Amino acid sequence: MSRLAYFVRETLISLRRNLLMTLAGIITVAVSLALFGGIRLVQTVVDHGTSKWKDGVELEIFMDLEAGEKQIEEVRRQLEADEDVRRFRFLTKEDAYNEFKRIFRDEPELIESMTPDALPTSFRVAPTEAELTEQVKRRFESVSGVDEVITPQEQIEKILDITRWINYVFTAMAVVLLASSVFLIVNTIRLATFARRREIEVMKLVGASNWFVRIPFMAEGLVQGAIGAGFAFGLIFLLKVVVADFVEGASRLWQGFYVTNADVIGIGLFVLVIGGGVGVLGSIIGLRRFLDA
Amino acid sequence: MIRFENVTKVYKGDVAALRDVSVEINKGEFVFLVGPSGSGKSTFLKLLLRDEVATEGRVLVAGRDIARLGAWKVPNLRRNIGCVFQDYKLLPNKTVYENVAFALEVIGRPKHIIRTQVPQILDLVGLSKKADSFPTELSGGEQQRVSIARAFVNRPLILLADEPTGNLDPATTVGIMRLLDRINRTGTTVVMATHDQRIVDAMRRRVLELDHGQLVRDQARGVYGVGT
Repeated sequence: MSRLAYFVRETLISLRRNLLMTLAGIITVAVSLALFGGIRLVQTVVDHGTSKWKDGVELEIFMDLEAGEKQIEEVRRQLEADEDVRRFRFLTKEDAYNEFKRIFRDEPELIESMTPDALPTSFRVAPTEAELTEQVKRRFESVSGVDEVITPQEQIEKILDITRWINYVFTAMAVVLLASSVFLIVNTIRLATFARRREIEVMKLVGASNWFVRIPFMAEGLVQGAIGAGFAFGLIFLLKVVVADFVEGASRLWQGFYVTNADVIGIGLFVLVIGGGVGVLGSIIGLRRFLDA
Repeated sequence: MIRFENVTKVYKGDVAALRDVSVEINKGEFVFLVGPSGSGKSTFLKLLLRDEVATEGRVLVAGRDIARLGAWKVPNLRRNIGCVFQDYKLLPNKTVYENVAFALEVIGRPKHIIRTQVPQILDLVGLSKKADSFPTELSGGEQQRVSIARAFVNRPLILLADEPTGNLDPATTVGIMRLLDRINRTGTTVVMATHDQRIVDAMRRRVLELDHGQLVRDQARGVYGVGT
């Protein structure tokens, strides 16, 4: 217990002594991890949004809200008969409601105000060839009881392109920043060991174990990394709120581009682990020169 | 307690600091290590602390070849060897009490032991009244007493002193030597490197003389400069 108190005290003293360097370290860790986390968040959103458009599903036929059993059966019959349609799947109001609940699971009020009846049924259709999408669309737009046929594939491609690009650029930036944060932490730890070189000398002289000497410095690095990660997490959460706002007011195409609190927490843990790792790595490198002897 | 077997230490750049030194120091002995600057006295002490490792030969402490200790066991060796230096190596931002307590704190001794042992040792070195003073408020002799207290508080088997009186006037030196003698009488082996002829002559203890890295004299009740 007294040992723990010793470590805590020494770590805090050292953090305060190099306040400016410590802050620089924390800020770079925060920015780089916010970039990392932001990329992960956007990726998650895009993954969710594009998942239903996989396996060749190119278009979705939305029925009128009041479309009757007969009209639905008619569309189904025509889909079955259509040679250009490889396969399709019917989504009942119940299916649509479940999906709605999944998308807006963080907003219970919205789910509360929605009933299965207020949602349209739909068919998700995979044509035999992607090129036939437009033809199929035209054929079904005019069928009675059909409200709208959407063919988002082009936009989806565009979105995937953009996210891929964002991913490369931001990852590169994040890696550079992460490297510089390791460098800053190494420097902070070097300064800290230099400021305490007399203590270290005496400690080694009287036979303090190597870990006893190292732990306060490693804790110092860890704290910097973790605080940086904490700030990054805050930024990521802000981004999540922005995304959620955007999705809420968006068109049908964008529904499904959602992100849940669980996703954000997962990303947060990921960011925290990297932050802590960066801090400890920095302190290990920073300590190497001083303690080997 | 301490044994050097044909120890040679060569530093980088082919500087031979010790050449084929063999010597045995028994438990409870008081030994002076004399010789001019650069004769190898400091290297002798560094080898004992495993600050350096012998190039050839073996250094044994309490029967164990210390070159073969794992890095994680070196702290254990040092807990059994107290060290005193010419420049005291006290921490300026800690009081006398805290300086001594620090030595116990960092090897993980519990608080209640620290609270009883530190006052005891300060009493032994005659500094009970200065427990709350900072090193800069003390005379050289007093600072060296604190440093001895710190080296001895953990009751090591061996006390190494590297020119402990180098910065002190003759009167103060006598006091420090009395203290080291007292510590020696508790059964602690004391090895003291020194230039101070008067001390060696007055104490009449075993003298090891080094010259250019070689052991040129080992005399049971010696004086500083016999034959020179």
